[in-house]
Amino acid sequence: MWKNLRHWLDVRIGLDGIIQTQVIDYRIPKNTNIFYTLGFLAVIAYILQAITGIVLLIYYVPHPDYAFSSVQETIMTKVPYGWLFREMHTVGSNLLILIVMLHMITVFLMGNYKRPRELTWLGGGLLLIITVIFGFSGYLLPWNQLSYWATTVVTSMPTAFPLIGEPIARILRGGDHVTGMTLSRFFALHVAILPPIFLTLVGIHLFLINRTGISATPFGKIDDEQRPLTEYKRKSYPEGYPYYPSFFQKQMYMMMAYFAIMFFIITFLPTLNFPDAVNSPADPLRTPAEIKPAWYLLAPYQLMKIIPNKFFGIMLQLILLIVFLIWPFLDTQKEKNVMKRPILRGVFIFLLAAWVVLLYWGRS
Amino acid sequence: MKRRRFLKVILAFLGSITVFSFVFSILKFLTALPTRAADVQKLVIRKSEVPLGEATNIIYQNAPAVLINRADKGYIAFLRTCTHLGCLVEFSKIRQKLICPCHAGTYDLDGSVESGPPPKPLIAIPLKIEGDNIILG
Repeated sequence: MWKNLRHWLDVRIGLDGIIQTQVIDYRIPKNTNIFYTLGFLAVIAYILQAITGIVLLIYYVPHPDYAFSSVQETIMTKVPYGWLFREMHTVGSNLLILIVMLHMITVFLMGNYKRPRELTWLGGGLLLIITVIFGFSGYLLPWNQLSYWATTVVTSMPTAFPLIGEPIARILRGGDHVTGMTLSRFFALHVAILPPIFLTLVGIHLFLINRTGISATPFGKIDDEQRPLTEYKRKSYPEGYPYYPSFFQKQMYMMMAYFAIMFFIITFLPTLNFPDAVNSPADPLRTPAEIKPAWYLLAPYQLMKIIPNKFFGIMLQLILLIVFLIWPFLDTQKEKNVMKRPILRGVFIFLLAAWVVLLYWGRS
Repeated sequence: MKRRRFLKVILAFLGSITVFSFVFSILKFLTALPTRAADVQKLVIRKSEVPLGEATNIIYQNAPAVLINRADKGYIAFLRTCTHLGCLVEFSKIRQKLICPCHAGTYDLDGSVESGPPPKPLIAIPLKIEGDNIILG
């Protein structure tokens, strides 16, 4: 039956040709490592978020009077396996941001953002930002004390900018404060506005990867891509390994590791992402004592605490973000190997250490 | 002007108007926000509800506010929204200060910033005393 179906498709869309060119003849450089699978893993994690998100949508009610009970009571206690899908969605969102961050860090360390892949890096950076906005907009939806006040804090950040700050904050919230209007806006953002933007960016990202070809790591092998860029040339590896089965196998291992970590957290650390403040419905008249945003926003949150001037604190973060996005256009050095670039390595380690310190500081 | 050039200009003009119409209407749609009650409301609170050295949390024009009976300077009222990042300040009876739980911003009972990151004083609400009542607004 499978053979007949395959033949049926082959005569209509040339399936065998696609498999031959895109899977069997598609060669991967021999010195790839496990970190090359992180992009694939991110796609899997996104798909899982979409599936679990759609399942949760069936019972979630985006209204301030019902949002908390629809999550905390209906989904978590009444609907069979509702708790599982919520846990998968919550743990999955955190793992997803971690995977995308790791993907960016490893691409950076391997110098794979360099020409001709500047646009691929830029697209990846924008995807990371969209992923964080996904996480942040989803954070408010359960309408609990933590989500309400974390959203209040983050939506107040634009007010640091003179003139345009207040209108931006008001548009984000749909008023002066976080209200049911904010919930509607964040819900629309989370389920309807961000997904098409995200899918478009993923499409562009994958298209660029396909057009430029996979970049070889700078470790252990001379990289022949340090040519002056005067004409388009797709990078290919006639001597490399076929994508299937060798690289495909690596991807499957990583996917299994991802699910193993996810279900370990769900099974043994079910309250990891659910501190006490998530068990109380949002109260606009009481800010809880221990209010903290999600871990990936803790470093900026802590920076806002220690820098006394709000405008300076936000500008510093904005500049860092812009430098991060356009870094391939600023880095004109030919050397890809970060081990041979002590200053860049030092700056990277400093920034990473600062981020980790701020994260732990903000957590304590 | 040649026919082809003319068609290009017309197309660009009509296209720009179409895009502008969409962008304008979307912006107007998004910025049509409910504002805090525009007509001035007065809120009356009895003096006996706020003992000396204590405070009471109230809602003033749909916003959380606090009315304080200061031991030395009398009554004063503020919006509770911290001027740093919008968390709600709490009155500390022991320290006789207003403290923000998010970033530990501290205000004195005049609403001025004492310590922490808030850039501006708390927004004061005008009030007057009439007999046994405190009238806000």
